Amino acid sequence: MSSFKRRSTKQTLTPPGTRILLGSTSNLITSTGIPSLDDILGGGLPLSCSQLILAPDVHSAYGELVQKYFVVQGLAAGQAVCVINEGARSFLEGCMWLPGANSLPASINSAGPGREDEEDESSQKHDAKIKIAWRYEQMKQFQTSVSSSTQSADDFCRVFDLTSRLPVSTIDAALSAKQLVIFDVPISDSAMATTRSMLKHISDFLVTYEEEQKEVATPLRICIPGLGSPAWGDIEPQVICYFLYAFRSLLRTHPHVCASISLPPHLCIEKWGGPGWVQKLGWLSDASLSLTAFSANPSLTALFPTYHGFVHIHSLPAPSTLVSPSDKYSMLRGLTSSGENNLAFKCMRKRLIFETLHLDVEGGIGERRMPPAAATVTVGGLAHDHSSHGHGGAASIQVQVEEVQNKVELVSVAEDAAQGKTEAVTTSSFVKKPKHRKKVAFTSDRPDLYDF
Amino acid sequence: MFSLSQIPERGDLLLVTDELASPADFVLHANLATHLKDSSKDARCIVLSVSGSLSRWKTLATKSNLNVPNLIAKGSLVFIDIEADLEELHSASRPSLRHIFDRLVSILQDEDHTSDHTLLIVDDISTLEWICFSTQEVSRFVRALSAACDKTNTSLIIRHHVITPGNPDELLRLLLQISAYRIDVFPLSTGRSGSVSGQIALHPGPGRTGLKTIPRSKAVLYRLTDTSSTFFDRGTGAAVL
Repeated sequence: MSSFKRRSTKQTLTPPGTRILLGSTSNLITSTGIPSLDDILGGGLPLSCSQLILAPDVHSAYGELVQKYFVVQGLAAGQAVCVINEGARSFLEGCMWLPGANSLPASINSAGPGREDEEDESSQKHDAKIKIAWRYEQMKQFQTSVSSSTQSADDFCRVFDLTSRLPVSTIDAALSAKQLVIFDVPISDSAMATTRSMLKHISDFLVTYEEEQKEVATPLRICIPGLGSPAWGDIEPQVICYFLYAFRSLLRTHPHVCASISLPPHLCIEKWGGPGWVQKLGWLSDASLSLTAFSANPSLTALFPTYHGFVHIHSLPAPSTLVSPSDKYSMLRGLTSSGENNLAFKCMRKRLIFETLHLDVEGGIGERRMPPAAATVTVGGLAHDHSSHGHGGAASIQVQVEEVQNKVELVSVAEDAAQGKTEAVTTSSFVKKPKHRKKVAFTSDRPDLYDF
Repeated sequence: MFSLSQIPERGDLLLVTDELASPADFVLHANLATHLKDSSKDARCIVLSVSGSLSRWKTLATKSNLNVPNLIAKGSLVFIDIEADLEELHSASRPSLRHIFDRLVSILQDEDHTSDHTLLIVDDISTLEWICFSTQEVSRFVRALSAACDKTNTSLIIRHHVITPGNPDELLRLLLQISAYRIDVFPLSTGRSGSVSGQIALHPGPGRTGLKTIPRSKAVLYRLTDTSSTFFDRGTGAAVL
């Protein structure tokens, strides 16, 4: 009998929509629905962990947008999803969905600001074509965003289109199959009573959910898009802290559950929770990020026209190590080479992207080329001296223009004789506009120091 | 070079303060491993866990060659999880930490597991104040715990999160008064770095002159790996960078 044995790799079954955390085989991660956010978290959100998204800007709802991505990714990957909100149904109906599934009307699709995606893609192609010096050719190209090629077609992270809407039929089907569960916020005497009753409700639900699972448990996502909203009662900072703390300990006892939480914008600022409020929230959740939108600050909007806000990282999940996996594996944060990159987000027509904050071409000016200054008036052959007008300024600008000889070009256009058309030699002459060469210099009213 | 094994001495209270950008988990885990491995055979450690989960303590201890389930079974390691008792603690009309204190004292005075040297680690005192317990209640708990450890010659390590740097809160002021030493872990002022995880300063408590202290201006840098930490002086790579 031969001693030869075929070596067969034993494949471990991972639950749908999950992967093994890089650098730690004992932890599973799942996607947030946004590849660039997954990269920031170190590959994805680990199961039994929670992420807290703070969006302090009251004029926008980027926090809610991230929650919607979290929910639809769960639904698309075949995971169970639980939404806890007073208006969960309308929240779900406003979610994005897979491209082409249920697109918005074409009139909305072709609306003005929607060209960004195409422009972005074309600029990426243009960048790829740029010929660079041979000595730098071998260098790895600096990447500012997570490329779309990493968005594989598998269930881990699906590509969603913000112009598509989650079909109502899909919501109904998921509800009837118990893939999607909706919890309303209970009404109680006080905010603390509401919080405790909700925690009890979630705890009971998790116990029943785990009992129903088979050998390979399906992960469950819990989404709370508006913790502390008016439906929760007269909420206080201590109640939010209590909920986050108790909820995190609940998740730790259930290894196949993860959660994503957002607070209403007015609760995300230090003014509401007191000094160090955002720090407290960071300590009480596994991952905590702030999306500070520019919409309230016109100067920032003007400075960074292609971005919609800054991303601040407060805490990152490290379920079984001292250092977060993100520190080692995140491309966007760039900690492997030097200090942390500045991060920003932009919401385009079809997707939300987190990327490295960088100035545009020409150092922050939107246009690639400066338009000619309309205000510059040139006087041919004359030196224009402001001092002659009697201005009392300390300094003036001289613009001297040299005339360039006009060139007359003769252009002959010969039409094809074979086509039977009359051969004609058209002699057209056009005169190019006089090209002026400008010389600009600063002069001073006062005599120069060394002018004797 | 700076070493975490020098402190705390027997019966001392070591205060560990950290910030969100530079968590001091590594100080607690290193102390646990050092105490259980380097001390005499009957060394005992009690962990009062407020924020950390047992599975994380287990995983990190395993990487330091410690078998936590064995140690728990042997009685060398006692793990008390406040998260599990939270509902019970909070259900009372006035949330109190008395129950936890009584439990700790009974463990410290347990005659079945007498130990030459016991270490008590409280992994996070600030969260207790944030969730439901009043500052007065937490301050009383800390004071009573310190006194109980002093009586039983137990070393005590308490971690406190600084959320308003430069502006110490009431609880931190009390802790500074009763602690023998303070390990101050804080982030780089220039932001996160790929090579340096943060800085460490060592301050003496009132009337303490034994150890060589490290002021904030000359803080030692540290770099974290998955399971351990390396210390090096400012301005020197020291084979780390």
